[in-house]
Amino acid sequence: MTALERDPSASAQAPRPAGAADPPRAGTPLLRVRDLAITHQGEDAATPAAVRFDVAPGEVVLLLGPSGSGKSTLTLALNGLIPNDVPADVEGTITVGALDAAAATVAVLSTHVGMVFQDPDAQLVTGTVLDEVAFGPENLRMPVSDVLDRAEAALRRVGLWERRGENPDRLSGGGRQRLAIACALAMGSPLLVLDEPTANLDPQGTEEVYAALAELVAAGDRAILLVEHNLDAAIGFVDRAVVLDQDGRLVADGTVDAVLRERAEELHEMGVWLPTSALAALRLRRAGFALDPLPLTPAELHAALEASPAPASAPLSTAKPPLLAEPTSDGTPVAHGFGEKGWSGRTEAHHLANPIITVRGLSVRRSRREVLHDIDLDVPRGEFLAIVGANGAGKTSLIQALAGVVPPPRGSVHVDGLDVGRADARTLASRIGFVFQNPEHQFIANTVFDELAHGLRRQRLSDAEVRERTEALLDRFGLTAKAQTHPFLLSGGQKRRLSVGTALVAGAPVLALDEPTFGQDRARADELLGLLRELNEEGTTVIVVTHDMQLVAEYADRMVVLADGRVLAQGATADVYADAELIERAGLRMPPLAQALRAVTRHPDLARIARLSDLPGGAA
Amino acid sequence: MASASRLSTSVLLTCAAIGVATGALSAGAGAISGPVSAAVPILYGLVLGVHVLPGVIAQELLRRPWVALITHLIAALVASAVVPLWIGRYIGTALLIGALQEGIAALGRYRRWEAWRFFVSAIVVGVVIAVPIWFAADVSRFPVWGQIVYIALFIVGPVAWTAVGLAIGAALRRAGVARSAQR
Amino acid sequence: MTATGPLLAAQVPRMAVDPYADAVTAAPVRFLYRLNPLAKLLAPVPAMVLLVFVRDLATPLAFLLLAYAVLLIGVSFTRRLALVLLLALPLGAAAIGFGFSLWTDPAHVDQSVVVWQIGSWTLYGGALVVGLATGLRIAAIVALALIAGLSTTGPDLVRSTVQQLRVPYRIGYTALAAFRFVPRFGHELEVIRQAHRVRGAHGGRGPFAAIARWSGYIVPLLAGAIRHAERVALAMDARAFGAHPDRTERHVVPFRARDVVFIALFLAASAAIFWVLFPWGLG
Ligand SMILES: Nc1ncnc2c1ncn2[C@@H]1O[C@H](COP(=O)(O)OP(=O)(O)OP(=O)(O)O)[C@@H](O)[C@H]1O
Ligand SMILES: Nc1ncnc2c1ncn2[C@@H]1O[C@H](COP(=O)(O)OP(=O)(O)OP(=O)(O)O)[C@@H](O)[C@H]1O
Ligand SMILES: [Mg+2]
Ligand SMILES: [Mg+2]
Repeated sequence: MTALERDPSASAQAPRPAGAADPPRAGTPLLRVRDLAITHQGEDAATPAAVRFDVAPGEVVLLLGPSGSGKSTLTLALNGLIPNDVPADVEGTITVGALDAAAATVAVLSTHVGMVFQDPDAQLVTGTVLDEVAFGPENLRMPVSDVLDRAEAALRRVGLWERRGENPDRLSGGGRQRLAIACALAMGSPLLVLDEPTANLDPQGTEEVYAALAELVAAGDRAILLVEHNLDAAIGFVDRAVVLDQDGRLVADGTVDAVLRERAEELHEMGVWLPTSALAALRLRRAGFALDPLPLTPAELHAALEASPAPASAPLSTAKPPLLAEPTSDGTPVAHGFGEKGWSGRTEAHHLANPIITVRGLSVRRSRREVLHDIDLDVPRGEFLAIVGANGAGKTSLIQALAGVVPPPRGSVHVDGLDVGRADARTLASRIGFVFQNPEHQFIANTVFDELAHGLRRQRLSDAEVRERTEALLDRFGLTAKAQTHPFLLSGGQKRRLSVGTALVAGAPVLALDEPTFGQDRARADELLGLLRELNEEGTTVIVVTHDMQLVAEYADRMVVLADGRVLAQGATADVYADAELIERAGLRMPPLAQALRAVTRHPDLARIARLSDLPGGAA
Repeated sequence: MASASRLSTSVLLTCAAIGVATGALSAGAGAISGPVSAAVPILYGLVLGVHVLPGVIAQELLRRPWVALITHLIAALVASAVVPLWIGRYIGTALLIGALQEGIAALGRYRRWEAWRFFVSAIVVGVVIAVPIWFAADVSRFPVWGQIVYIALFIVGPVAWTAVGLAIGAALRRAGVARSAQR
Repeated sequence: MTATGPLLAAQVPRMAVDPYADAVTAAPVRFLYRLNPLAKLLAPVPAMVLLVFVRDLATPLAFLLLAYAVLLIGVSFTRRLALVLLLALPLGAAAIGFGFSLWTDPAHVDQSVVVWQIGSWTLYGGALVVGLATGLRIAAIVALALIAGLSTTGPDLVRSTVQQLRVPYRIGYTALAAFRFVPRFGHELEVIRQAHRVRGAHGGRGPFAAIARWSGYIVPLLAGAIRHAERVALAMDARAFGAHPDRTERHVVPFRARDVVFIALFLAASAAIFWVLFPWGLG
């Protein structure tokens, strides 16, 4: 991130009062929000409730808050989409430049507030990159020459001018999101509002988007209001943070130093997602490291650790043994944190003696092209396995073959003794459950109850038994109150739990999930992962495909790295991550924590830790 | 501004989504209509009836003026872009059926949406389509029973597909889709 | 407001056709590409309507020749054109003609020639002629429709409905945005089918199982489609879509003198054919 090197003094000022002396920021704020409370139609509580803050020209403001605190709602209100497009009751005032948002139309506000949404595909309207950027200015009835000037300027700023003639479909996810940024720039608005712009992107796409944003910030002519859960990438160029609590009330508004560094503990407790490095630092502080100010990026954490002496009070040796130490014979769980049954607790030989899935010589063709070549793989029983790889590496093809979603060649895949290539759907469902990326795709019944009962009825169980087992599952997944609700009416997190439930109901010992956290907010992702860990601890073998390297580090016992349809590496997670060069070669990134700790020379015990839970200080 | 401008962008795009999704079905119908009209021409009405779907679903879900016509029109424009071969046919059918469905709904002043109104438009659509095809296919040369079955199926087709459309619309309402666009 | 169905376009299998693709560049003699889509669409309409009421063989044949001539000169000669004009259309016409002749009531036709006899059922030459006339008629109507179909791109058609027919531009641009829905929904349908298959929804063979299966796909497909559409609508409104009664148009699809000439010539040719062959005097 180029912006990491920004002058920290720029963000170290006290909260700026409106009309501060700073020359480029003089005058009225770009955005002034006062006592804003928004109640969606059909809801009874306002989220956000009573929020006030300003955004000055050129400023970068991060809007934080737990899921459901009303961040998206707030952003939609800034350019009038609420209440004009999405019915809601709006109290308080929003002043954009000199305009009162309540009195202006969305079209007028759009020239003051540019929006970038989460899903790049949902922002495409036309057939070429150039037409796409021109779409906004054309709607404003600008003369053709002005439209083209603006489009060119905007495209050059995000580095897409050379590709102006192409269909946006050809761009990568990150490219399409940069295009969305260009479209917002072309509206000429001095304030850019981005709502989780990288939630749908893989690591590469995320990097592209933040590189583009960093350049915008460096130019300093636009103010940015950013809602983002991926703080690791964003924190580098943020000036100020505004924080909402669960009920949508304002709890903090100040510089990054004043809010994120000083009040990190408090925010973490509220359910606000913090950068991985900050979470790690909080833990290390508890273990006695002097890390002040709180580091927020891997680079800062690295530097702070190198500058800090090892704590006297809590020697590292009482913490969990460092990874890849000699396996302990008993594998007794350590008292704190998760990951009790980590790699150190078992031996490789013990696992591999009894694999639940064996893959031998698996090749998969899609549209006459071979996309997986001669894969050999063993998945030990009861493990948490992650499959990673760059886009197009063949992860989805592999996991679909394992689960029989796309039947593999006969004899190449066995799950619990069953040849997947020959099995019928019902037998297969009793061995392996598959959870699709979008839970709605796999719902087939009209109520939550029937959704779960479907798998049992197919096994021709008696009605009483179906009822009993379904109710047990509903209870287990916290869905009892929703038993008669239509599955589509559940919240996102509930839908996800239900989809996991439907995959498990037939009693399958293996659960396979394709990018289960893709495009989800942190709260939902954490909820799901907690559930998966629970199931895994009860003995279910869990296989996930994911792009989230920190997730792999935290949860997976083993990982498989795919590149170009071949297995580049497989083994215990720590072993694979130990080879930074291999990760790089596969087109992947090291998890943020490992980035920070990898080369720490002053504390060699920390250098090979990749999971937050393995850091000392977790007992607090 | 033209009357359609009172419809929000979200309603327009919802119509488009319905048009495209049902367009997949119409495309299927288009693919089998050739063989059907060659082998069992009297069944043609049953197949053709599928073209009422976009309008029925849009009206049942959104219950607003213009949505049937717009859904048909957008479905036709999109279908024409994908299979330009049939531009004329798509546009013609869309305008015809869409206008009929709008007309019948307008008679209820867009306030009453009882199922029978949908079935009346289905029957009208069936009759209106059957007439030109009667001449084009020279049905008067068929045996009398064939003529009766032929015409009957042109009525039965749209009616049956209207029932399907109403069921889909109701299911979507139950699933809480397009709440903010509904009335 | 969080998306439940994120989907990278990179995951969407490439579409066979790009609905936004520009018109082919072709030699100047391929004049159809340079005409307004509406001219190509409307000029054959009177002939198509009148053809419906024609019963002879010569008139549809004449229009078939006219349409073929216009197409063979007016659009680039490609494999696809050859397949459509030389294979699909004649075969289709023959099949439909034969099919209809089987259904024609033998009591009303010329029974002097017997073509085929199975038991008590006879196919008379007269029935074959009637069927053939129907096949030719339908083929002629289709061929006339192909004049626009084989030389027009979707976006140009949309633009000309906005620019000449005064269809509100918000509807036109909604259609342009909706072109993107096609591959996306197609991919989504594929995934839904896989998911339902894995869950064992409505297994079994036969038409009724198939109907049950397909009806299970419709609600998830439409629900996802409509939710996606609502997000696109927000993104469009956020870029001032519909702010003014009109908008700057960078792609002009003009209606020029040559379009008038084409329509006039085509109408004249149609009139001439009807005049010469006058197909209604014969009964
Ligand atoms: N269209 C809508 N109709 C009704 N209620 C809504 C709508 N959109 C959001 N809500 C509700 O408003 C509240 C705030 O939602 P919002 O999406 O703004 O939260 P958020 O802070 O963006 O959360 P996340 O981090 O999950 O994106 C939630 O309780 C949500 O259920
Ligand atoms: N239905 C299909 N038809 C043709 N090719 C396909 C199909 N599905 C996948 N492919 C190709 O197979 C290769 C592997 O695809 P796959 O979806 O398994 O990759 P992935 O690792 O899951 O990628 P991503 O990270 O983008 O999800 C890619 O090159 C892809 O383009
Ligand atoms: Mg949100
Ligand atoms: Mg994949």
